[in-house]
Amino acid sequence: MKKIRVVESVLKANDANADANRARLDEAGVVCLNLMSAPGSGKTTLLQKTIPALAPVACGVLVGDLQTTRDAERLSEATSDVVQINTGRGCHLSAAQVSNGLDELDLAKLDLLFIENVGNMVCPASFDLGEHFRVALLSVPEGADKVAKYPTLYSNANAILLTKTDLVDILGFDTDLVKSDLARINTAAPLIECSPQTGEGLDSWHDWLRGLCS
Amino acid sequence: MHELSIAEELGRQIERLACEHNAKRVGVVEVETGALKLVEQEALREAFSAVGEGTVFEDARLEIRDTPGRARCRACGCEYGIASPHELLCPECGLADAEITQGNDIVLASLEMDAAE
Repeated sequence: MKKIRVVESVLKANDANADANRARLDEAGVVCLNLMSAPGSGKTTLLQKTIPALAPVACGVLVGDLQTTRDAERLSEATSDVVQINTGRGCHLSAAQVSNGLDELDLAKLDLLFIENVGNMVCPASFDLGEHFRVALLSVPEGADKVAKYPTLYSNANAILLTKTDLVDILGFDTDLVKSDLARINTAAPLIECSPQTGEGLDSWHDWLRGLCS
Repeated sequence: MHELSIAEELGRQIERLACEHNAKRVGVVEVETGALKLVEQEALREAFSAVGEGTVFEDARLEIRDTPGRARCRACGCEYGIASPHELLCPECGLADAEITQGNDIVLASLEMDAAE
């Protein structure tokens, strides 16, 4: 038996695809964000409000779900630059899938690209898609302990949105617990408290996004 | 972390290298798993065994070594060991704004292969 030294990263296949995506986005001058959260946190509703509010910044969306084109249909009112990716049984988007999605978009006309990841608090946080920024959502009905329970999602984020804040009083939600748990794992990301449905607090989110484009 | 997709990618790398070296059998596979990837060793062994059936590495012994995690604080520059990808609090300045510098990769370190039948 001969022993050969290899020293090759096993993860580089996904990373190579991610890096290629990022280079493509850089060349087209598109800033890309990967939105991640549990299912039902309000990612799609957020984008439905955000895209018109950011005009004239041109926004596109790649949306991932196991099944259906429902999110793409909802978003098509806000922008015609929407591509739905159905993963079948895949629990997160991969860089290869995003690459195929980029092929279907006209990147030249976009300033901002949102990738709405599959609703899942675990897997998406570990897979680089080629994005420039990661945004994690936590919605009030999920419970204030979820930052501590799913830390990878929140420690990796460049911005964190606490959504459905209109339900804080009804549900007796402990916002201070969220803040103290975040202080242990991510002190760089701003925490933006908002309600995509009522629009409250979205200005801070939109200002943060505009800051990325300038 | 997805042990099955890690095992599948590992399998592809091993088959490519076995082909390059004209090997008929792989005896030992050495893998270094970064501690921060939180790889379940047992799950990886089972996945590796399943992926290996009928291949050139089907009887290979999988040796797994853990690489400890390290981080560098972006605020004050301090470098320190970390046990998990979320325990990022800097021991110097107390902020959680760190860049992970070690322990965040899974590496195929070496292969022992036999070119004979």
